[in-house]
Amino acid sequence: MSSSQTTTVNDPHLDNTTTTNNDTLPNNNSQEPSTSTDSSQYRSSTQYSFKPPPENSKTSTKPDLDDNEEEKRDDSMYVCNICLDIAKESVITMCGHLFCWPCLNCWLETKPQRQLCPVCKAAISKDKVVPLYGRNNEKQQDPRSKKSPPRPQAQRTEPDNSQNYQGFQSFGDAGFHLSFGIGAFPFVFFGSSFNFNDIRQRNGQNGSQFEEDQFLSKVFLWVAIIFFCWLILA
Amino acid sequence: MSNQSIQSENKPNNDEPVGNKGSAVAKRLQKELMALMMSSEKSVSAFPEDSNFFRWKATIVGPKETPYENQKYRLSIEFPNNYPYTAPTCKFTTPCFHPNIDISTGMLCLDILKEKWSALYDVRTILLSIQSLLSEPNNDSPLNSNAASLWDKKAEYKKYLDQFYEKNKDT
Ligand SMILES: [Zn+2]
Ligand SMILES: [Zn+2]
Repeated sequence: MSSSQTTTVNDPHLDNTTTTNNDTLPNNNSQEPSTSTDSSQYRSSTQYSFKPPPENSKTSTKPDLDDNEEEKRDDSMYVCNICLDIAKESVITMCGHLFCWPCLNCWLETKPQRQLCPVCKAAISKDKVVPLYGRNNEKQQDPRSKKSPPRPQAQRTEPDNSQNYQGFQSFGDAGFHLSFGIGAFPFVFFGSSFNFNDIRQRNGQNGSQFEEDQFLSKVFLWVAIIFFCWLILA
Repeated sequence: MSNQSIQSENKPNNDEPVGNKGSAVAKRLQKELMALMMSSEKSVSAFPEDSNFFRWKATIVGPKETPYENQKYRLSIEFPNNYPYTAPTCKFTTPCFHPNIDISTGMLCLDILKEKWSALYDVRTILLSIQSLLSEPNNDSPLNSNAASLWDKKAEYKKYLDQFYEKNKDT
């Protein structure tokens, strides 16, 4: 890294008097800058993220271009695998593949019996996708809670058959048949464990917390199943 | 925002999972067309038929070092309204003598267009898969049993295929 490079890059961030000094005295660069660059470098590194790119200096155009190129390259990384557009309301599967939530939701709904990642064919489920929140997402709303909500909502009052069914899908057919014959109680039971799950997930998308929730809901399931076996046998 | 969510909550949403997606399908097909036109892949090509964006004409050149080398086949691809959630329907419009292609209808048997379909696949990958099917037929479930039984006799197969192709090829 030559000293002249660092000074030119830093130029736009210095106030007017110092930049004119540098412009008028280009030959001094080799001797003087060591002290001045140290301080300006520090200043620029802290200021850079807050300052809009300067317009009129030639030196600043080069880093700008690099930024644009990088952005283009990055954009292609964030293309939804289904609509081939930049992912909106992005979610990521456990296997690491990015989709728009509406696109993935649609895909899962067309194949309810075989829920596979379109890219790698890993088994996936609506409950196990992670929403992605960028910096400028003011709302930070779980995309899954918008539009066709896949999971039971805590606030909803009327018990809806389709809602409960969604909960059972992840537990497999056996659980569904068993409880279907017996009555309303299991629905309440599962419903509560699911809502609990839901709320905690929205508060923080922690890996360990997620696993804990999974574990909890499994415990609830088994307790319910044992209870029912006991009910049937007794 | 809140209005929207209330509306969608009130509306039953499970009767039509892919409703009103025509524009989204067209958008995706446009992107696929762009990608196809930009790609350097010369052995497969596809283009929408006339004004209908949901019906494409495609061509596949037989893969090198196979009996199909230097042969050119035309296909039609028809996209459903809920593409890419459902596979498009592909048919050979140039009659093709091949174990997995119906000689009269042009229908073909390819798993990725049926049970193994994924929304990830696009026209390009479909055509490349069909192209590789030409060189690696699945002789266990043939649509053309003549072709399947002849496949192992290379010279005979090639001879018959060439005759058949010359008779049926497009000009
Ligand atoms: Zn998408
Ligand atoms: Zn995947």
